[in-house]
Amino acid sequence: MLKQNYINNIIKISSIFLFLLQFSCAQHKEREHIVVASAGKIESLDPAQANTLRTLQILSALGDTLYKLNKEGNLSPNLASGLPIASKDGLIIDIPLKENISFHDGSIFNAQAMKFSLDRFMKIGTLNYLLNDKIEAIEVKDEFLLRIKLKKPSSSLKSLLTSVNLTPISPNSYSNYKDKFNNKSFIGTGPYLLENFSSNQQIIKPFKNYWGKKPLNKGIDFINYSNSSTLFGAIKAKEVDVLISNSIDDMQRLTLNNMVKNKKLNSGEGEPIEIGYITFKSNKLPLGNKTIREALSYTLDRELISQQVSFGTREPLRSIVPPQLHKKELFPWPKYDPNFARSLLKKEGYCEADILTIPLTFRSNVPADKLLALTWKDQIKRDLSDCIKITLNGIESTTVYKQLSEGAFEAVILDWTGAYPDPEAYLNPLLSCNEIKNNTCLKGEAVFSGSFWGNNEVQELLDKSEELEGEIRLKNLIKVEQLAAKGSAYLPVWLVNPKAWSLRDISQPEFSRDGLIILKNLKRD
Amino acid sequence: MATKKELFKYTLSRLALLPIMLWIISSLVFILLRIAPGDPVDAILGTRANEFARESLRMKLGLDKPLINQYLEYINHLLHGNLGISLNTQEPVKVIISRALPASMELAIFAILIASLVGYLIGFLGAVKPEGKIDFLGRLFGIGTYALPPFWAAMLIQIIFAVLLGWLPIGGRLPPGLSPPPPFTGFLLLDSLLNNKIEIFFSSFKHLILPSLTLGILLSGIFSRSLRLNLEEVLKKDYIEAAKSRGINETRLLVRHALPNTLLPILTITGLTVSSLIGGALLIEITFSWPGIALGLQEAINQRDYAVVQGIVVVISSLVVVISVVVDIAIAYIDPRVSY
Repeated sequence: MLKQNYINNIIKISSIFLFLLQFSCAQHKEREHIVVASAGKIESLDPAQANTLRTLQILSALGDTLYKLNKEGNLSPNLASGLPIASKDGLIIDIPLKENISFHDGSIFNAQAMKFSLDRFMKIGTLNYLLNDKIEAIEVKDEFLLRIKLKKPSSSLKSLLTSVNLTPISPNSYSNYKDKFNNKSFIGTGPYLLENFSSNQQIIKPFKNYWGKKPLNKGIDFINYSNSSTLFGAIKAKEVDVLISNSIDDMQRLTLNNMVKNKKLNSGEGEPIEIGYITFKSNKLPLGNKTIREALSYTLDRELISQQVSFGTREPLRSIVPPQLHKKELFPWPKYDPNFARSLLKKEGYCEADILTIPLTFRSNVPADKLLALTWKDQIKRDLSDCIKITLNGIESTTVYKQLSEGAFEAVILDWTGAYPDPEAYLNPLLSCNEIKNNTCLKGEAVFSGSFWGNNEVQELLDKSEELEGEIRLKNLIKVEQLAAKGSAYLPVWLVNPKAWSLRDISQPEFSRDGLIILKNLKRD
Repeated sequence: MATKKELFKYTLSRLALLPIMLWIISSLVFILLRIAPGDPVDAILGTRANEFARESLRMKLGLDKPLINQYLEYINHLLHGNLGISLNTQEPVKVIISRALPASMELAIFAILIASLVGYLIGFLGAVKPEGKIDFLGRLFGIGTYALPPFWAAMLIQIIFAVLLGWLPIGGRLPPGLSPPPPFTGFLLLDSLLNNKIEIFFSSFKHLILPSLTLGILLSGIFSRSLRLNLEEVLKKDYIEAAKSRGINETRLLVRHALPNTLLPILTITGLTVSSLIGGALLIEITFSWPGIALGLQEAINQRDYAVVQGIVVVISSLVVVISVVVDIAIAYIDPRVSY
């Protein structure tokens, strides 16, 4: 009897406590802000240090860029008042700036502030090599006119000016951070200002004196979870309003897409900016043999792989530049054709007595890479087991990146997201080479990408494209890509679209051309 | 009982070994990190940065110096209590640890409390009536929780209590939109009370329930099994038989005679568990996005942030050594047979 009373008392006390928990203020407070969740922590809000998509996402709401890309993919002024004006020799670029724009701290945005921000980026920015290779000096020509002096003509610089990394910061607030990072605050000109920052949560609210279109919501709470399952569960449990697709497993993407079909969620999709590809080491046999690399480019059944790995959510890709940047249909890499692959391999003496063995490396901490490796291996076993055998090797990504330039991998699965939406941002990092000998790159980006593939014509065209503009430049870059396809040192596999899902009472997420959600357009119905 | 003098000597000798152990551990970590493939410069810049940018950053981070100089500098800083600066964020490692360690300790304390309460109760009830229903279910529970993969159990609990029932939050330490109170102890529950923020106290408590319950239940299996086995052993001893024959009632026999004699192994197991939890419970922290030290260490390893990895390992090792010394001293006080 005594025991029973004791147990009853415990149950009563626990119930009261749980009741209090359920009705605690936090639980029942009507959410004013929109909660946006993504994977991983944000350690720094300094645009000079930002290099992850999640950091760029929040910076895009706190800051503005000089230019934006419109729906047609053309440059349109944002903080600039007009398009960049280049001198005849292409070595000087003048950028007129908008007036009456203020930073979050009340100071005025002008050419001096822009120069301060660009100089600081060139000095301490982790990606400063993107500018330092091109820019000689930055000058203030007038209070609202900025002049950029270039080392050599560079048409790609204009696209670079759309980069969130180059968002202006207030010289007043960053006077103590000229040569060091300011991780925990951000003072820019953007539609939102930072209210609170921690690595797991960032709170932003609308900036009342914003010069442009005002946000449609009362603020955004960013929340960062460490894994896909928690993110997935959080939107299912309605703990978050919007879920950004980075690091969401393909299986969970499929479920979320089904929820959209069943009208339980909204979703928005941006243009693809991430490509998945396989790099072949071209400076050593057997893959040093171009015909063998060419044969391999016919062995990949992209449709099957897309279905098996991602249930069709990753679009098959036969170019190393996202298709929208070509501005027309273009497929430089060949379709799946195992018979033609066999005939090429037979020419090289394989398929009868000798079987070509390809050690394929994948990043063990990237689930999609592992599935791709396994699927391709099985597909080869099914279609070309008399000619090719694939052996698999999983290595953690940090180690893979370190050993790429050391030529440690015959074939390796990788991905790439261009720093800005321009074909050059995809072609240069994979193909450019400063020193070429016998079609082998000895020094340059092709070494860092692990292919060691060098081609003088490609390099000439890449250099020339920096001096060209518009349609001619694009044609030039397309030719580069076609030459790369002939060289077969890379094998494009798929495209990954940035995607976001939102609860039904939140508007459909919209994306900018650089794959970031336009946060100020999110609203609660 | 071991004499006070002997105990004092033993404690001193253990504490004297502490700096040597820390030196060995910190040197091993330093060497292993440098041997491991991967480069902090790659992690920060990406692989596409040019040679000039890479070399500049290498110089800025002090990675261009000869390894021996880097090592001596590191040891010198360590001797002065300086754990260094994060290569990635340029934040003092001390600050990073002071933020993450209390989160792990808060989780560990609650998990141990739950594990002790559940585990020892089940073990005790099982030993009281061996081969009974409770004993059978308790053994099943012990083996089950011991065998369950932590990430799977954590995900299952998340799905049931957060997604399907919606009773408790799915992860993190606080709900979106709620800022933590100014850190005084780093323990969110304590800080919110000290700052009179009842709303934050309840919210953070709700966030603590699922991870600590998962971890606690997973650990309770070991606790229940060890108490059950030790108690069974003790109950077979002659002095228990003698006590029974003197007519001492069963409850008194268990509580006053048998239980104290099982404390020694129980205390050792609890101590070891506490020590292992000081370093965080990685899978639980990852699954529940709990911003603890294990998650921090994992991220630092991925980014090859040498300073943060070294700092965390040194702090955890020190705490583990201190806890084992405390447990040893406690055992010496409890058990008169222990000699040094």
